[in-house]
Amino acid sequence: MSKTSNINRVDGFAKVTGSATYSAEYKTPGVVYACLVGSTIAKGRIKTIDTKKAEWAPGVLAVITHLNVDKPVGYQKAKDKHNFGQPLQIFKDDSVLYYDQPIALVIADTFERMQYAASLIKADYFKEEHSTELKKAADKEKKVDTDKGNDYHRGIQDGYKNAEVILEAEYTIPTEVHNPMELANIIAKWEGNKPILYTKSQGVEGTRKSVAGVFGIQAEDVEVHSEYLGGAFGMGLHTWPYEIAALIGAKKLNRPVKLVLHREQMFTNVGFRPYTIQKMGLGATKAGKLTGLTHEAVAMTSSYEDFMEGTVNMSRFIYDCENVSTRYRIIPLDTCTPIWMRGPGEATGSFALECAMDEMAYKLNLDPIEFRKLNYAEKDLEQNKPWSSKYLLECYEGGMERIGWKNRKNEPGSVKEGNWLVGYGMGTGTFGCYRSPTSVKAKFLPDGNLVLQCSVNDMGPGTATMMTAIGAEITGLPVENVIIEMGKSGLPKGPTQGGSATTSSVGSAVHDSCNLLVSKALELATQNPTFKGIAITDLTFANGLIAAKNDNSKSIALTSLLAENKLEGLEVENLSKGAEEAKKYSIYSFSVHFVKVLVNPNLGKIRLAHVVSCADIGTVINQKTSAGQMYGGAVGGIGMGLMEALEIDHRFGRPINNNFADYHVPVNADIEKQEVFFVNKKDPISNPMGTKGLGETALVGMAPAIANAVFNATGKRVRDLPITLDKIIETVKV
Amino acid sequence: MKNFQIIRALSSGSAVTNISKESSAMFIAGGTNLVDLMKKNVTAPDKLIDINGLDLKKIEFLKGKVSIGALAKNSQVAEDSSIKEKHPLLALALAAGASQQIRHMATVGGNMFQKTRCSYYYNTDMPCNKRNPKSGCGAIGGANRMHAIFGASESCIAVHPSDMCVALAALDANVLVEGPKGKRQIKFTDFHRLPGNTPEKDTTLENKELITSVEIPDNNFTKNVHYLKVRDRTSYAFALVSVAVALDLKNNVINNVRLAMGGVAHKPWRLTEAEEFLKGKTVSEEIFKQAANLAMKGAKSYGDNDFKLTLAPNAITEALTIAASK
Amino acid sequence: MASKKTDQNKVTENDSNSRRDFIKKSGLLTALAFTPPSLVMASENKWDEKIAEYLETVPLSIEVNGKMHNLNIEPRTTLLDLLREQLQLTGTKKGCDHGQCGACTVHVNGTRILSCLTLATMQQNAQVTTIEGLSKGKKLHPMQEAFIKHDGFQCGYCTPGQIMSGIACIKEGHANSREEIREYMSGNICRCGAYHNIVDAITEVKEGGKEL
Repeated sequence: MSKTSNINRVDGFAKVTGSATYSAEYKTPGVVYACLVGSTIAKGRIKTIDTKKAEWAPGVLAVITHLNVDKPVGYQKAKDKHNFGQPLQIFKDDSVLYYDQPIALVIADTFERMQYAASLIKADYFKEEHSTELKKAADKEKKVDTDKGNDYHRGIQDGYKNAEVILEAEYTIPTEVHNPMELANIIAKWEGNKPILYTKSQGVEGTRKSVAGVFGIQAEDVEVHSEYLGGAFGMGLHTWPYEIAALIGAKKLNRPVKLVLHREQMFTNVGFRPYTIQKMGLGATKAGKLTGLTHEAVAMTSSYEDFMEGTVNMSRFIYDCENVSTRYRIIPLDTCTPIWMRGPGEATGSFALECAMDEMAYKLNLDPIEFRKLNYAEKDLEQNKPWSSKYLLECYEGGMERIGWKNRKNEPGSVKEGNWLVGYGMGTGTFGCYRSPTSVKAKFLPDGNLVLQCSVNDMGPGTATMMTAIGAEITGLPVENVIIEMGKSGLPKGPTQGGSATTSSVGSAVHDSCNLLVSKALELATQNPTFKGIAITDLTFANGLIAAKNDNSKSIALTSLLAENKLEGLEVENLSKGAEEAKKYSIYSFSVHFVKVLVNPNLGKIRLAHVVSCADIGTVINQKTSAGQMYGGAVGGIGMGLMEALEIDHRFGRPINNNFADYHVPVNADIEKQEVFFVNKKDPISNPMGTKGLGETALVGMAPAIANAVFNATGKRVRDLPITLDKIIETVKV
Repeated sequence: MKNFQIIRALSSGSAVTNISKESSAMFIAGGTNLVDLMKKNVTAPDKLIDINGLDLKKIEFLKGKVSIGALAKNSQVAEDSSIKEKHPLLALALAAGASQQIRHMATVGGNMFQKTRCSYYYNTDMPCNKRNPKSGCGAIGGANRMHAIFGASESCIAVHPSDMCVALAALDANVLVEGPKGKRQIKFTDFHRLPGNTPEKDTTLENKELITSVEIPDNNFTKNVHYLKVRDRTSYAFALVSVAVALDLKNNVINNVRLAMGGVAHKPWRLTEAEEFLKGKTVSEEIFKQAANLAMKGAKSYGDNDFKLTLAPNAITEALTIAASK
Repeated sequence: MASKKTDQNKVTENDSNSRRDFIKKSGLLTALAFTPPSLVMASENKWDEKIAEYLETVPLSIEVNGKMHNLNIEPRTTLLDLLREQLQLTGTKKGCDHGQCGACTVHVNGTRILSCLTLATMQQNAQVTTIEGLSKGKKLHPMQEAFIKHDGFQCGYCTPGQIMSGIACIKEGHANSREEIREYMSGNICRCGAYHNIVDAITEVKEGGKEL
């Protein structure tokens, strides 16, 4: 264990004292307050919009609608396709494409006056028939018009149908919403033609490009600050219409504008995990060898953007199976566009696949883990490549031991604790390890501190802490001497935070830049009289001290070296990329979630008595923050499994539970006993540290683990999430 | 939120006098529900009369009863050692409601005015007879998972969301009020009303009356009591169904019993027929099940809440069983 | 566009803005008698607006983190918005604005409450403690230290509310077991899911027995 393997979160002090500054909290002289007024219909056109009362209300500075907006020049570009990445152009015209679509921006001098004025705006519409229900819009089903949207076949198409034992089942997940605790928010201002945004973005560089596109300017002229994010879980991967609206307002008034969405708008305007129906077909021999697997998904998207995710991808490689088919279709509905939500695609797909695996294990009268082991994939059959590393079996073993799998009986409903039915279940998760080109500047300051700069964000997983740990490890400096500057434009360009790729991308860049920086320092040292005649390879650097390996008496502090050379610092900026070698391998993280549930069949109450989350994520850079992320991802999966669902009243095409009282996410009392286990073995291929990524696998596989445990406890197979109590009591016979 | 005037009342008399002068004035105490409703533009008073300065916070044990001031906080009552000892059902019900922060703010009197959590009531774009008479009921034929199975009407199927009120209904409490016409007393079970054709009226309180206290007569329900709250997560959620049970047992024979449910009707739903059935019987699961079935007479569901027809009797049986085993 | 402006110019007395309605209702003439002459003098233009602004606010004396503030605020201003937007104390967070998440938890006169559902004007002479009032310079409160040690957060947004609630949870005597802590901390939602570590942190502080 190294000194950096269990460090405290480096931004902890700021976060526990309230001094961490989130977007809407920047002290901005002259800032005024804005909000968006949403449409009250799901589809149609605005007939009239009465803004008069709002404009006359005290303190109101502007009311902007499609009638008076100065349309950004980027709006002129025609949209011939529905490609993802072309969000709704706010205030472009009178069309209403979804319920609560912004139809007016109200700006006033105080928060209270702005809120009141917004309530005075009333619109009339030409209503059109809306379509918000996936199950009733099958006629609009289509393929996504990209390579990724193509069907996949290996071996015999739908070969499962020829098997000795066949399982066919349909699984549904509802719309789920990210709902980070921090509301989507922005302070927007302009300096001449250059916009400055303090906003909730998971990708500073991405936001710069999007904003530049809308306003017809260069990305380099867009200044973005997103230094602290109060969570995002994917909703910060788009530049949303609200951000553009704030910029439009700020430009019109030539004043900084603060816009914070209401919690209600977080459900309607900034994406969600799409409602998805999946059909599984599994074929196996009586002995338990999978021979065929077909995975089909139909998911919602918006009417103006074709969104897709890798829902069916996991089924192509996670098990050893000769005949595999996958198909993915979308159906445009009158809603906002979905956006990747933690474990995008795989979280949805693993629910279907891992429940189906459980169902098949029962059909075969096999222990679910035994069944999986019988179909363990020794290599990636989709890409026909070896795994870079795979410790999935260790995850199974680690979890079985901790959860007490030996107490599980295959016969549903056969274990009791008092009046509670006991069930055990597990679900496998996986996610690809990606690495994006990343620039990091590493700089030794005259006082001996190390500064690491990168425009990447930290939405909560502990990116800054990871950078600190790697920087400290390589330079040998104490973690207290590492200073992180991140989350804003103007710094060396980092990736968007997402896809569990941040440590692999940014960590590697920190690793490379710090190594180069140390070399640079050592090189400088060889020119110092102290080390006359000593080769660079015979010098060491630790704790801010450069020393000769073979002669303790010869050393010099970095600070002295810099001073002697009259240097303001020593710096390296380096672009770090993945190695070609990595392309020969299939690199994935793996996780297995285990749960023990207690079910009261009379009340339908499901208690998670014990949750164990195991993962092979390669090297664990920092145990503390990684465990935190794993605990948290598991809680997200628990929400998905037991309670989260955006309910739509399709008569009106609008959600009816778009608030935190009625859309339930787990609370503290829901989480009784939680454990985390990391295999913690270095991946030899992925990147210099040997990490593989964690954020997604922390969630992927939890929902099926719960569903499988509930079946084991009750004999009730719930194939549509969430598993609310009504689905348990309806059919359980007591 | 519309701006408004706010004045601080110095006595209950002056509070009542003040509110009588204004057509659009309301009392405010804890504000946990009212401020929320004002933010949503469901309620928009011109004037608020802040009654927090009134001397109505005391819990007093008098001869034959306890008197709880209308301004006593939910947490104050829930954690009062004498309440816990003499009326543990009330303490349990209070502790099951909302969160501790909200219980620190919310008052006993205010809780009695808690508005329904029906989504259609909260959203001013939607039809709702309770919020906007004659606009229709969105919940009928809509999303009604939370909604009533007893005593609903074609106008409204909303439920009363309070936990405290379920216990007070079970405990035969009385509500003391002061109004322009003087003071009067209302039986707790008569305080809330069924929707009928006028769902906009939640209570039988007359215009401009102020609740000053709630009184609970002494009883023997100090041991075998339970408040079972069934909800979509373990805490900090409204009840789908809740059951308040108070048993007075002698050698396993039910000497006296009180039963009430929450989350099933426009008002706390007292199960008098089941109570009568249970009196004098010996405790058994079979008896409890029979009582639960009796309690379900006349129940009607609306689609999303069909499960309540199964859940409610199960919950009654479960709550009785737990209470009896204490 | 043009026709819209014309419409606006034709605003009649009937659909005049709400401010005038408000003045009418508050009894303008009576109110004027008490208005300082300087205010009238100073407002040559839009005098009614300025008087209205004055009349629409109420005085408030409130102590926040040991500092007394004498303010004039609108009655509709919540304690949360007062803290964040007027006093620039942004440590207290807005997560839902409707009492459904706990991010805005502060202590008022020693009790944890939700500042989003609290009208500031009703806290006359109250003593408010926010997350900014816990530490003494670099010296952290034991609960803050425990949250760092046990990693009781990720994004940090619910953290001030969790910490204020955690301290109160112990002071109230509701931290006697992990189960009790879980129940009494359920009013504070953490979407990052740090509950396990939050309970660890509170348990340690409780067992440490320091005066909070």
